[in-house]
Amino acid sequence: MQRFRTTLRARLTLLYIFLVSIVLILYAGGASVFFWQKLIGELDLSLDRDVETIENLIVEEPNHKIRVDTGDESENLLLEVWSQQGTLLYHSTELRGGLLGPPIAGNSPRHPPNRSINLANNKTVRVITVPHKLGAQVVIVRLGLSENVLREQFAEMISALALGFPVALVIVGLTGYFVARRALQPLDSMARRAKQINAEHLNERLTISNSEDELGHLGSAFNETLSRLEHSFGQLKRFTADASHELRTPLTAIRSVGEVALQNPVDDQSHRDAIGSMLEEVSRLTHLVESLLILSRAESEHLVLQRSAVSLRELANESVTLLEVLAEEKHQSLKVEGDKSLVVSGDPLILRQALAALIHNAVKYSPAEGSIQVRVGATNGNAFIEVHDSGPGIAPEHRVKVFERFYRVDKGRTRDLGGAGLGLSIADWAVKAHGGKIELECDSGPGCTFRIKLPVSPK
Amino acid sequence: MKILAIEDEPKVGKALLQGLKAEGYQVTLAPTGEDGFFLLNSSAFDLVVLDVMLPGRSGIEVLKAMRRQELRVPVLLLTAKDSVEDRVVGLDAGADDYLVKPFAFPELCARIRALLRRGKPEQVLTLKIDALEMDLITRSVTRENKPIELTVREFELLEFLLRNKGKVVSREMLARDVWKETSRATPLDNVIDVHIARLRRKVDDDFQPKLVRTVRGVGFMLSEDTR
Repeated sequence: MQRFRTTLRARLTLLYIFLVSIVLILYAGGASVFFWQKLIGELDLSLDRDVETIENLIVEEPNHKIRVDTGDESENLLLEVWSQQGTLLYHSTELRGGLLGPPIAGNSPRHPPNRSINLANNKTVRVITVPHKLGAQVVIVRLGLSENVLREQFAEMISALALGFPVALVIVGLTGYFVARRALQPLDSMARRAKQINAEHLNERLTISNSEDELGHLGSAFNETLSRLEHSFGQLKRFTADASHELRTPLTAIRSVGEVALQNPVDDQSHRDAIGSMLEEVSRLTHLVESLLILSRAESEHLVLQRSAVSLRELANESVTLLEVLAEEKHQSLKVEGDKSLVVSGDPLILRQALAALIHNAVKYSPAEGSIQVRVGATNGNAFIEVHDSGPGIAPEHRVKVFERFYRVDKGRTRDLGGAGLGLSIADWAVKAHGGKIELECDSGPGCTFRIKLPVSPK
Repeated sequence: MKILAIEDEPKVGKALLQGLKAEGYQVTLAPTGEDGFFLLNSSAFDLVVLDVMLPGRSGIEVLKAMRRQELRVPVLLLTAKDSVEDRVVGLDAGADDYLVKPFAFPELCARIRALLRRGKPEQVLTLKIDALEMDLITRSVTRENKPIELTVREFELLEFLLRNKGKVVSREMLARDVWKETSRATPLDNVIDVHIARLRRKVDDDFQPKLVRTVRGVGFMLSEDTR
């Protein structure tokens, strides 16, 4: 039962039945009232007719007694004649001493409205009261007609309605159930289909019969979600594969160096060399794992920015001071210029990390005697720091991908240049976390410009 | 100096045992928190190296129990978790220092030395190795009485190496203690290498023996031992 109640189909059906019941009850009530009024009206009409007939039959005898010549029908007649003084002048035998209501007196010019009364023998009677001129005096005639027939008719009608009621409800319920089932059919098939779609089959989509209706919208929304999921899953898969590859390379080195060192009986110095070489790979691994941790934390948003007012020029100066020895070694010129008053709200540590990654890259890819410019400025409400190098530039097909994890423009040589291909990804994340972005521009002249754009902090 | 190492991973435990013994400490290894806690209650130690992730009672629980019992021995936590919250939990529980796995062994030794030195006033005014002398007051450096001109960074680098003379210092230690760089993602390794090369040029090029040594895969050290 609980299960039945919980399905949408069942709930819709119940709601449908409930609404139809209310409509039926309202209808039956209205119809009954109308029907009852009509029956009473008809009874009153016959009372009018009968009282007219009877008035003609009332005769005053010489002894002032009242007689009614009713003939054969006298047994069923419920009739009273009252004097104006309130004396009962006549009452029919059928009344058996009972009265058609309280005693009545006076000479009201208008006759009171018809009303229903209960007699002692449990009969309900409709009574009409009319004044009647009888010779010199005016008497009051009260005539009753049994309502029994009328009540029976009414009861029949009610029972007919009552009998039809459950039948109607059953029909309504079944119809509602099937209509609901029919309407929700696509939902069922969508659910069944959705169950089959898992991580392995993310490329599958729900079939949508009618994209215009509500279920179609639902299906489309679900399909869009699937597309996004598929995209992120694809990225995740590629990332995992890349990460395993990156981890495997130093692991292989450690393993082979260790194995070779063990197999060959050599002197102490070669053992030291072997161990040193293994440790180098270990530090490479450590660095890689740390970078991955930073990225995964960035993604799960565990990392909270410690914001403060950061002067971009100062940030650039610090980063350049940190890295200028590298440029000096290659006899490159590394210069900072630009607005000294520009301030953004940000985490200085994380921003510096991003900028240092860009400058480090610029030094790495610029030739000896080359030049690198770091410029700080503002355009269109955005602050920027750009790092312009004099390197070979980046081919258009690589430009979008340089921020992807493990992406390297030149797959062959970069291991020597250090880094696992995560530096730019981390920088990209760091800037995005500050509501900015990194742009890459390679078209104007030699070299590339990486531009960190940040929203200027509100004053 | 007696050190208790509480570490469940056998290889790391063995490395701690042998490495710290080689540094001249008396080392006891406890593979579980319960064992460690029992040892702490039965004998006195000068320092505890405590792994956070232990089977059964975690390192943090052991640490809290120790502090409840008023055991004031300095504790160095080892952990693979390095988020800020993890650090705070460890330090709040009463740890004196914190080292993230995988750690460089020279760094562990440096931290242990620092913890054991703690509270003792430093009276050093000059640092010296072989004929190389550093005056911390005048901030001048001489070798065989010939003055050597150093930049601020080079001076700090040499000072750090001198304070750890005979011990290997890793690039991580230099990045943190000389460059004051807390984020390990900042690309500093090459920068450190360049500074070491320059320092070597100034300190060693015209003299014998060569003092600044590169220990492959580990870091650098100052040593008069030419082996």
